[in-house]
Amino acid sequence: MSNNDTWQRVHPASPFVHGWLAIVGLLYIYWQNTDELSFAERFAGDRLLWTLGLAGAALLVVLVFYFLSWYFTRYKLTESHVYVNSGTLFRSQKQARIDKVQGIDIAQPLVARLLGLAELRFDVADSSESVLRLAFLSKADAHALRQLILERANSGTPSEARVLTDPAAPNQTDPNPATLPLMAKVPIGRLLASLFLQLPIVIGTLACLTMVILWLTGVQGIIAGVLPVLLSFGSWFYKQLNQGWNYTASAMDTGMRISYGLADTRQHSIPAGRVQAICVTAPLLWRLVGWYKVEVNVLGTKNDDADNFQVLPVGDFESVTRIMGILLPDLGVINQREVLATAVSTGYEHGFIGSPSRAKSLSPGAWKHQGFLVTDTTVISRYGWLARTATFVPHSRVQGLEFSQGPWEQKRKLAGVRLFCAGGNIIGHLHQVDAQIAAEFTLAQATRQVER
Amino acid sequence: MTATTPWSPNSFTPAHPSYFKVKLTTWAITWGVILLVTLIPGVLLLAGVSTPLWLAIGAPVLALVIALLILRILRRQVLALGYLEREEDFIVRSGVMWRKQVVIPYGRMQYVEVNSGPLERRFGLCQLTLNTAGAGATAHVYGLPAEQGQALRERLVSAGEEKML
Repeated sequence: MSNNDTWQRVHPASPFVHGWLAIVGLLYIYWQNTDELSFAERFAGDRLLWTLGLAGAALLVVLVFYFLSWYFTRYKLTESHVYVNSGTLFRSQKQARIDKVQGIDIAQPLVARLLGLAELRFDVADSSESVLRLAFLSKADAHALRQLILERANSGTPSEARVLTDPAAPNQTDPNPATLPLMAKVPIGRLLASLFLQLPIVIGTLACLTMVILWLTGVQGIIAGVLPVLLSFGSWFYKQLNQGWNYTASAMDTGMRISYGLADTRQHSIPAGRVQAICVTAPLLWRLVGWYKVEVNVLGTKNDDADNFQVLPVGDFESVTRIMGILLPDLGVINQREVLATAVSTGYEHGFIGSPSRAKSLSPGAWKHQGFLVTDTTVISRYGWLARTATFVPHSRVQGLEFSQGPWEQKRKLAGVRLFCAGGNIIGHLHQVDAQIAAEFTLAQATRQVER
Repeated sequence: MTATTPWSPNSFTPAHPSYFKVKLTTWAITWGVILLVTLIPGVLLLAGVSTPLWLAIGAPVLALVIALLILRILRRQVLALGYLEREEDFIVRSGVMWRKQVVIPYGRMQYVEVNSGPLERRFGLCQLTLNTAGAGATAHVYGLPAEQGQALRERLVSAGEEKML
């Protein structure tokens, strides 16, 4: 990491991490075509020459491609920009302004982890589409480069989009998670228990077991229908497991930093300033043991699927309080802890306004839980029947309000209000409250959310 | 009317009356096609293919009933549309059965689109869509006369730049 103003190349093993499938593919083709031969036949006489010759040629081709790919992938760090050039035939040149870099994540896919390599992913404020990727560097280099870029981002002139650092402590963006205060940790036992205490997983597992038993007892043809279901359920289950495996959350000056992963380890930093909305959920069976899940809407994290961004896969009320304290330090009330306790449970203390009893026929299970509270900074809303949800939306993050009233709500003088946010699927939802209260809330919220 | 809504329905600028004609034409085309499809069992029956009688009669009758029910509230649906420009935000309302009022602060606006389909163009109308960074926070204004739509777009864009947060 000495002279960073010159072009540098990535780790020579990177093309292999990108393209190891090609080698496996070649081996597989070879195997398929020589299936009928025994080992002795394979490596005897003429055939030995041909095999070695062709293997050598294939290896050469692969190596040439790997070399070209490695040769043309270069990166450069200047005072103001990060440049990444890649591609042999189709060249691509990408750059990111360092003062617009909102966060740097370090990812380690399985093969990269075996080789001790890591990938850097930059979240850039001014590009709405893809994140800039730099793959692969040795793990130490990746951490050093990340540190260097964060330092440069801090020393530059402050720009309005900067939320990366706290101005009060400019030199403390220590990337080493070991030295950061630990906020939450998920033991593997608790993770497994929490997974099997979720209804979709219980039902899914039972269904899978039933089908496997049916198949084993000789019901023919069922496997064709079962396999896709099994696979999709399995991959979903694996994703849940992967997201919570070895999960740690630690506090930074600017927000929090999480790391998790079973096969590939992921690290994300979540600047508190980019969090748009927070959602605390307690699925039906978790309520028995007092566990919660915390998800957020956060700008700049590219989510490949419809799921929300998890910041706590499972945790008790203490962990929730700690995480909320970081992501939403100012809840706008004095007795933050007590209000939080009411928000994640059922009750009308601290000024929570609930659904009137005439909502009972519309939501027999949930009407007692439904409610909302407006504080100086945030709208807290609770809804949900089996899985109880509490969402926290700061006034300044509301993108739009929707007052809505269905035919059955009109008859009972009820109404709902939705608060839409950016960066994810979490919305604030005042469900089936008194129409008069909902209308007054909408009027007041329209003024609150544009206050500066 | 005892309906409780944040803003009184009277304070909104309503959709242009000829938007009803657009809706009516769309309704006629959509339900015409659906009715034709539901007539297929009847035609098959007449052609001698064995088809259940209840399907041959029930399907078109059901389609007709739903179409007429929708026709009944079509005019009220158009009358329920409207927009309201305020100091800091823009409000649209819609819906008879499912009533909605959507509030978008100018400062959160990302871009404004003006679209017009062939049917709308025939009546000199257009529709305006206001988008924010939030997925659900989108406001649609239907049945705007074309020049009024352009003027509204200009006003919204300049208000958005002014109130940018």
